[in-house]
Formats: sequence, structure tokens, C-alpha cells
Amino acid sequence: MRTRSRTAPIRKNPQHQRHGHGKAHCLKILKQLSAYLDDELPREICEEIRRHLGACPNCEEFIKSLRQTITLCRHHPVRPLSPTAKVRLRRQILKVAASLRYRA
Amino acid sequence: MDLIYRFAQRLCGEPDAAKDIVQDTFLNAYRGFKKFRGDARVSTWLYTIASRACLRMRRKRKGEPERELSLEEFIPASEGEFKLQIPMDGLTPEEALQNKELRRALDQAIEKLPPKYRMVLVLRDMEGLSAKEVGTIMGLNERAVKSRLHRARLFVRRELSARGIARQGRLETDTEERMAP
Repeated sequence: MRTRSRTAPIRKNPQHQRHGHGKAHCLKILKQLSAYLDDELPREICEEIRRHLGACPNCEEFIKSLRQTITLCRHHPVRPLSPTAKVRLRRQILKVAASLRYRA
Repeated sequence: MDLIYRFAQRLCGEPDAAKDIVQDTFLNAYRGFKKFRGDARVSTWLYTIASRACLRMRRKRKGEPERELSLEEFIPASEGEFKLQIPMDGLTPEEALQNKELRRALDQAIEKLPPKYRMVLVLRDMEGLSAKEVGTIMGLNERAVKSRLHRARLFVRRELSARGIARQGRLETDTEERMAP
């Protein structure tokens, strides 16, 4: 059985090209998008947002790029410390810690 | 050590500064170990010490003032701004980040974020901590963490998308030039 993702838009009409609602509604939705993507909103608000996304191509595009942003951040690469640098840093820390112990 | 180095590098953007922060963090942890009550995880405690060390270092170096990000500045003013796109369609995040331009844009967007927003984004979206843990580290309630996180994400989205548009624009220009008689 296919289940709908909690964040998948509900499509009212596949030809949803017209903006048939006020901009204020879009702003209200945009303010909640992070909470929506993090699954932190009550079910009824999620439903309302999904309905809106299904009917509003602008907000659908917006949420897509916001979701991509979060995905990129989650995969942001960092070059790890080399084993040599790690050994050097560890030695340095132990040396200073030993001098602190000595002073105490 | 790897955890704090990775965190510090994401926060400061520079390997040498990150090494200094690792050193500061472990020495401060050593000095303050008696004060550690054990009601948070050791990693949370180390993140707290490292984040303070990083903020101190940035203040000393750049004297950069904290800037508030208002939600209004991210509200699209035109249809085009709604539809800003990030050049990663059909790619996995790893593949997309092999694009040097996109990777540089992501690094620069994070670097441009005001520190208090950057810290929330790094801890929550990059280090994968919960909003509650981020709150503990930064001395904020969860609501404030979520509010800052949303603004930080919107900021990065705008920066990345703007690059995407520029790139698309250039590609289109190239194509037009090639097609010109």
C-alpha cells in the first residue's frame, strides 16, 4: 500500500498554475516551513500546508529549494585532521595541561 | 578531538583557527572538569565550551557586531524570488557538493551568517543535534533555537539560490553566444 509522506503536497489540480489565493497565505506558510520540514507541527497544520503547496507552485518551488539547502548543510564536508596533526595537537594539549597541573 | 575539530572548522571556516579552538576547548574542559555535573552528555558540554571559545575568537579577530535577521527580509518580493533554484536537480547531495562553485557558495553563505545564527545552523543541521541540545549549549529555549534556525536556513537558501541563478544566467548567455550567427 502506498502511503503519502507527511511533507508531500496534496495536489488539488495538476494544472495548478494560477495563484488563486492571497499573498498573506503564502507568507503564513513560509514562516512555518522549517518546522514543517522538521515534522514539528500538529497534523492539521501539516495538512493545511500540504494543501497549500499542492495549489501554489511558488511555495512548492520555495520549499523545494529550502529542503535542498537543509540537505546540503547536512552533507557539508569538512576535511578531517591528518593523523600527524592530531598527534601534534594532542601532545600540545597534554603539555599545557601538565604545566597547569604543575602550577596548581 | 575529531568532533570538536569538525565543529570548530564549520564554525570558523579555517583549519588553523579550528586547531586553536580544539586546544582551548580541551584545556578549558580540563580546568573546569570539577564543575561538570554530568546532567548533560560530555559531547554537549564540550560543544558548549567550544562554541564559547569560537565566539571569543571571532570577537577578538573581527570585532563583528551581531546582526539580527528579520523574517521579512527573506519574504520573496517577486515570483522570481520564490522560484530561485539550487543547481542540484537529479543529483545526490554528495554529487552536488562536488561542484566546487556550489561548495564554495555554501561555505561562503555559512561564513556570512551572523554568528548566533551560524552556530544554530551548524549545531542543528550539520552536527545533527536536537533543538533541545542546541538550546542547552547556547543557553536558549527551544523556541528561540527554532526561530534562529529558520532564519539561518532562509539566509543560506537565498545565498545558494542567487548563485544558482547567476550560474544559469551565465549558461544561458554562453548558449546564446554560441548560437549567434
